[in-house]
Amino acid sequence: MNKTYFDETHCAFGHPKSTFMQWMLTIDHKRIDLMYAAVMFTFFFVAVFVALTMRIELFAPGSQIMDGDTFNQAFTLHGVLMIFLFIIPGIPAIFGNIVMPIMIGAKDVSFPRLNWATFWLYIVGCLVALASLFIGEGVADTGWTFYAPYSLNTDTNVIMALTAAFLLGFASILTGLNFLVTIHRLRAPGMTFFKMPLFVWGIYATAWIQLLATPVVGITLILAILEKYLGIGIFDPSKGGDPVLFQHLFWIYSHPAVYLMILPAFGIMSEIIPTFSRKEIFGYRTIALSSASIAGIGYLVWGHHLFTSGMSDIAKTVFSFLTFFVAVPTGVKFYDWVATMYQGKIVLSTPMLWGLGTIIMFAIGGLTGVTITMIGVDIHLQDTYYSVAHFHYAILSGVVWLMFAGMHYWFPMITGKMYSESKAKISFYIQFVGVNLLWFPMLIAGWYGMPRRYFDYLPQFEIYHQIAFVGAILTIGGMVYMFWIFYKGWTKGEKVGPNPWNATTLEWHMPYSPPPLENHTKVPYVDFDPYEYHQGEPVVKFDYETMKRID
Amino acid sequence: MDTNTVNYKTERASYYKVLVGLLLLTAVTFVQPHFFMTHSTFLAQMLIAVVKAWLILMYYMHLKGEKLIGAMVIFSLFLVSFFFIITIGIDVPNFQYAAESYITAPAAH
Amino acid sequence: MSHEYIPEIAIDREGNEHEVQGWQDDFYGGKLGFWLFMLTEVMMFGAMFLALAYYNTLHPEDYFNASASLNRVLGGINTVILLVSALTMGLGLLKMRTGDVKGAKLMIWATIILATAFLIIKGFEWKAEYNHGVFLLHDKLLVGPGTLPFGQKLFFGMYFTMTGLHGLHIIIGIGLMIWLLKRINAGKVSTEHHILHWNIALYWDIVHLIWVFVFPYYYMIGAAGGTGGH
Repeated sequence: MNKTYFDETHCAFGHPKSTFMQWMLTIDHKRIDLMYAAVMFTFFFVAVFVALTMRIELFAPGSQIMDGDTFNQAFTLHGVLMIFLFIIPGIPAIFGNIVMPIMIGAKDVSFPRLNWATFWLYIVGCLVALASLFIGEGVADTGWTFYAPYSLNTDTNVIMALTAAFLLGFASILTGLNFLVTIHRLRAPGMTFFKMPLFVWGIYATAWIQLLATPVVGITLILAILEKYLGIGIFDPSKGGDPVLFQHLFWIYSHPAVYLMILPAFGIMSEIIPTFSRKEIFGYRTIALSSASIAGIGYLVWGHHLFTSGMSDIAKTVFSFLTFFVAVPTGVKFYDWVATMYQGKIVLSTPMLWGLGTIIMFAIGGLTGVTITMIGVDIHLQDTYYSVAHFHYAILSGVVWLMFAGMHYWFPMITGKMYSESKAKISFYIQFVGVNLLWFPMLIAGWYGMPRRYFDYLPQFEIYHQIAFVGAILTIGGMVYMFWIFYKGWTKGEKVGPNPWNATTLEWHMPYSPPPLENHTKVPYVDFDPYEYHQGEPVVKFDYETMKRID
Repeated sequence: MDTNTVNYKTERASYYKVLVGLLLLTAVTFVQPHFFMTHSTFLAQMLIAVVKAWLILMYYMHLKGEKLIGAMVIFSLFLVSFFFIITIGIDVPNFQYAAESYITAPAAH
Repeated sequence: MSHEYIPEIAIDREGNEHEVQGWQDDFYGGKLGFWLFMLTEVMMFGAMFLALAYYNTLHPEDYFNASASLNRVLGGINTVILLVSALTMGLGLLKMRTGDVKGAKLMIWATIILATAFLIIKGFEWKAEYNHGVFLLHDKLLVGPGTLPFGQKLFFGMYFTMTGLHGLHIIIGIGLMIWLLKRINAGKVSTEHHILHWNIALYWDIVHLIWVFVFPYYYMIGAAGGTGGH
């Protein structure tokens, strides 16, 4: 019986005997990852449920099940949970933690005890956010963007939400820090930066954003708290403060934040496409460098969220230009992925289906973003459902779908079992139809003027909301079904070996799955590129006892 | 990398030299508004601060000779300066509603 | 943190041996990690300077007058105190690295004393401002329709915020230094294993660095005179 990371672990302090305490105190990146996943998906479904109540409310004009104030709290809660508790920790927490160290041949991250502390800091942030539901006037009703001056005047629990966001942001910073040092210091001997798998490049670029952008929103939240309680004046017009400054400071983080969401997701795509095309990735260097450029240029475009705020015209022009520019590296990736598939032997397994679905959907998400980069167009479409549909296409059928793709891809490595492929494919198709039904009508509704964050609307928009409702039911049904398939797979699925997809990167070269506590039996010497295939078969083969190449 | 290859006397000497440099620069900060670049005090003060910061980074913080960390520091500083260039350099000075906005109108309190 | 960590060896196809860097006993990694953390401090205070400069651009004269009213003598003394404390901290680390643990501890104590002096003088400054009616929540000037023009209100709002946060970082620094002394006494920090000392010295240097910019921006831009704020 092989000992896996479920059988033994290292702890932050002490040598607890109980399984429960071993999980509470574990510093093993794989176990910490699973705990993040469990907590994050719980909050994901809570936020989905909140969205469902909003969709029910919006089924017809007028009030259905809640009043306007409650609706404001609902979309704020949905946004705060989805963004700060789920999608920003997101793929780095759920896949970066477990897969990245193994991909570079390391035994853990550079600071495992910091990793443990960071997880619990994340939990405290979640608890503060949850507490805001039950205390005082309830959840904030400002929208997840907390714009001044309303956020400073409302009686709802804005301060708790800001505090929660600060703590969660701090956890994000520390995760980014940990990953940066890990990637710089713990790569296997011989693995230069340009021999790293592209998922690691994605995590690396993301870590830079986590590290440098998050402090800006951290201090913005503190300034907002100080403004509310000590009246320092910087966002309060009655003292000369400028609410647009809040928007600047807020979006200086929150725009790079969306690149923080998508870069690891693109990294997952770059892993899946070569494996299921049985072919080396096309343009490895350009994809790697495009991740770095997206991270870099992404810091410079935040003003496109302020086009209608009263910012100067010159600044608007500069931001519009830079935003068009930042779309280019993403386009490069898309072309490289399609070029990889060309003349490849495509294997249409579930991870590949999710990847292909994302290529279609994120194209829509990205292009609708480019539409509203045009300032004149944005005057009409800002704060309409067009924007909302744009970012849901990009985040839901971009980031989240690639997260699902990663779940299907790495499931056998993490659990040692396989799920039902046929059922998983059905779940994909249900969600593909569902998400399109849910969001495409919203693009049209927004174009015709349906404003966002409105709880009531004119009768001409009713049909779009009703179609969207059907889409929502399908999407949620598909997601629940997908998690059911994973559950059955983990508990009753067939056992698999360490490399069921016959892939090339190092996480598939462990002696067995689930992996042992310290990953590879021995750290290999890396003198090969990450995606070497010859006629559809991996070139590099290892003896798993000595981790020496035997090809 | 460095634990036992450090020469106490030379390092200590360089620390004291930097101290003297910093004290001198602090004195310059105090006389500058009255003696030179008096119409661009802000610029002069920031330049002196940058020189001080460079001394501290290079010698007290041992950044001299650190290629990777030095590159990371330069990247972050470049980022911050970009935020300044766009917001303070381009946006705020071209604020087009200064005459009507409550926070900037001439009659404003 | 065991001191018996033995690194693994990876062997390439020619039979050459390569030492594997583990996460344990990684001095450079510890240094790199702490530098990255300090970059976050740069971003944080950078954003505050951004807010400060934003309103400076809108109200240049108010800023000049408000700055003129600050106490340059106390500010200057604090600048020198912090400067010398950076020296003592650096000397303490140097002594630790060259084997003089006792001397290192003395230097750390010296830094703690200087840091405390800084805080006390800052306290006097704030008290003086409070007596002049300039303070957060003070009815007269910052809350409600006070007598100060917008630019000065915003100047002082940011002044208390930034010097307050800087002071908080000094308090944290004192706490870190006390903890460092405990770790030295427990034998966990020594000439062979001093990454903690190294990083805390770096921390103190960045606290000093922030003041290098805070001081001229707030105290010196109005140094050539002005009508004073209050």
